[in-house]
Amino acid sequence: MIGMRCKGLLLGVVAFALFGPAAQAQTGGVVKLGYVGSLTGPHSGWDLPAAEGMQMAVAEINGSGGLKVGGKTYRVEVVQEDAQSKPDVAATAAQKLLSDDDIHVVMGVLTSVPGVPVATQMAKAKVMYIGGFTALDGIVGKPGNELSFRALDADETVAKGFVPVVVRELGLKKIGMLVPNDDVSKTFVKAYQPLFDQAGVQIPIVEFFQPGTTDFAPVLRKFQGHGLDGLFIGYADPDAEAIIRQGLEIGDLPKKFVYRGGSGAPAVKYADKIDGFVWQILTRDLASPGDEKVKAWIDRYKAFTKKDVVANTYWALTFYDSVFMLSKAMNAAGTTTDQAAIAAKLKGMVYDGVRRMSFDRDGHGVTDVDIGVIKSGKTYSIPEKVL
Amino acid sequence: MLLDILQTGLDGVMVGSLYAMVALGITLVFGLVGILNFAHGQSVMLGAYVCFFVESASHSFWVGAILATLAMGVFGALLERAVFRRTLGDPFAGLAVSLGLIMIVENVAAAGFTPDPRFMDPPVSGSFALGPLVLSSQRSLVLVISSALVAGFWLFLQRTKLGKAIRAMSQSRRGAALVGVRVDTVSRSIFAVGGALAGAAGALYASLFAVTPFMGATPLTKGFIIAALGGLGSVPGAIAAGFLLGLAESFGSRYLSASFRDGYGFIILILALLFLPTGLFGAGKERV
Repeated sequence: MIGMRCKGLLLGVVAFALFGPAAQAQTGGVVKLGYVGSLTGPHSGWDLPAAEGMQMAVAEINGSGGLKVGGKTYRVEVVQEDAQSKPDVAATAAQKLLSDDDIHVVMGVLTSVPGVPVATQMAKAKVMYIGGFTALDGIVGKPGNELSFRALDADETVAKGFVPVVVRELGLKKIGMLVPNDDVSKTFVKAYQPLFDQAGVQIPIVEFFQPGTTDFAPVLRKFQGHGLDGLFIGYADPDAEAIIRQGLEIGDLPKKFVYRGGSGAPAVKYADKIDGFVWQILTRDLASPGDEKVKAWIDRYKAFTKKDVVANTYWALTFYDSVFMLSKAMNAAGTTTDQAAIAAKLKGMVYDGVRRMSFDRDGHGVTDVDIGVIKSGKTYSIPEKVL
Repeated sequence: MLLDILQTGLDGVMVGSLYAMVALGITLVFGLVGILNFAHGQSVMLGAYVCFFVESASHSFWVGAILATLAMGVFGALLERAVFRRTLGDPFAGLAVSLGLIMIVENVAAAGFTPDPRFMDPPVSGSFALGPLVLSSQRSLVLVISSALVAGFWLFLQRTKLGKAIRAMSQSRRGAALVGVRVDTVSRSIFAVGGALAGAAGALYASLFAVTPFMGATPLTKGFIIAALGGLGSVPGAIAAGFLLGLAESFGSRYLSASFRDGYGFIILILALLFLPTGLFGAGKERV
């Protein structure tokens, strides 16, 4: 009889543990995160890996038991919309996410053309948005946009460390700038010109070319005869590779290149024909990783996506670390829905993930970056402590 | 200064010869069947990919270029048989179908090949001196090949039986049929020839510029400007307008602003439409 009572008591304890208040605290439901990005079209080279990074982070959080906030455990779900690399489609995609009342945080978009309408709509709707595109720096920090964040460093932030490294590595004295005629370029030209000037580097010629240009020969001829020892060549891989290749073809041009873009891919094929190429890795160097955290992340990425790491894969880290940072902020704020409270926690936090990142009080990303160098046939990276 | 002008002029002629090749396909199809084939740029893109992949596998640009030309010729003939033959006599249907084809081909290519740009190793590299001029070896080769193809195509139209049939059909489809021209066969041939020219242009593009699923838009836009500038349906007009556009872009980018590169072509087009409404050579009077 006593044995039966004991068994009954034991069953009761087990049942209470499984279905009682403590267990209920472990199943808080689902936290939906929105992702909008160009999954198709010419910008998908950036946004597809960025989406993979976000999905990977969510899978890891769910795999480790879920998102723990305020004593409850939530399963995280990503609701994904394709911006198709077009601003009008991006606006529609943003609207779709906004129509879902369960979505309180949206991430995505690494390119400015589709990014601006997304960020604008999110700000208007007072929904927390973490993006990556350059023009977001003009939106973040404006009155009323307190829930907007940029997960990558602004040009002003990176340039301060980048320019001295470039000048030292390439030994530059006089350079020309050849960049696309768009807002992004105009912003960073303003940021870089005074810094090169401070470093003692002259810039006698700055030329803006039409975005989408494939034939650079005529405009490259403008750079001949200036006695330049380096060229600053914009931020997009196809443009950069075309400029390097066509510059080598037509001759009488410098063979040292400064690239504001995020990949060494444009110069790899020409490594033995050029005198140097320096670029920014706004997340982490995945091509020649020196950090164990990065090596471990690469293994997990390969296992998760069944893909190899390629030149653009490092964009995956933009939102990979942001998801973990967000979950930490939700945990600290004790809420998954109070966006103002989560935003306040995000702005006061330093997150040491695969990237080391934080946000300033406006929401601009302040993160450590790597600087890639191709010189004398060798490829290496130099870590730049920004934080 | 004179040297610089000469050098810039040569840059313009080199790229203009490529534009002319693309425009020939557009103007021919329009002249013969009255269809503005907007999907022509996609044949350039597919030709570039064929050349890129064959070159990567065989390490021979020449094998790649020949296969790209042949493959796009077959693709053009298939398009005519499967799609455009059914839209004959309905230019709006033809236009809508070609716009739809752009979306399908472009997105299938992006899904299959990825949107990442690819650069091919050109068959010749570096530059050479011609007197005081320094010329890019590959650009010079492209100029020679494209000029030879344009000249060969011109001879084909003038001297061969099929070429004469094409010229007859461009004047009057019904009249040509009445004198025994097999209009269906000629229509298919012209799509095949236009496609082959686009394939060859794609291979030459790939030897100079990045190959992407979205690369077709640029040659297509230029091709249409050239076809309209030269007079829709006019082969000599398309050739002359191709070189003219190349020169305008080159001189504009060099001496004015590179940020307005595509604008120079449109300025010339607007002026031509205002003052030469039938094109450079008056397409209405002298076609093909």
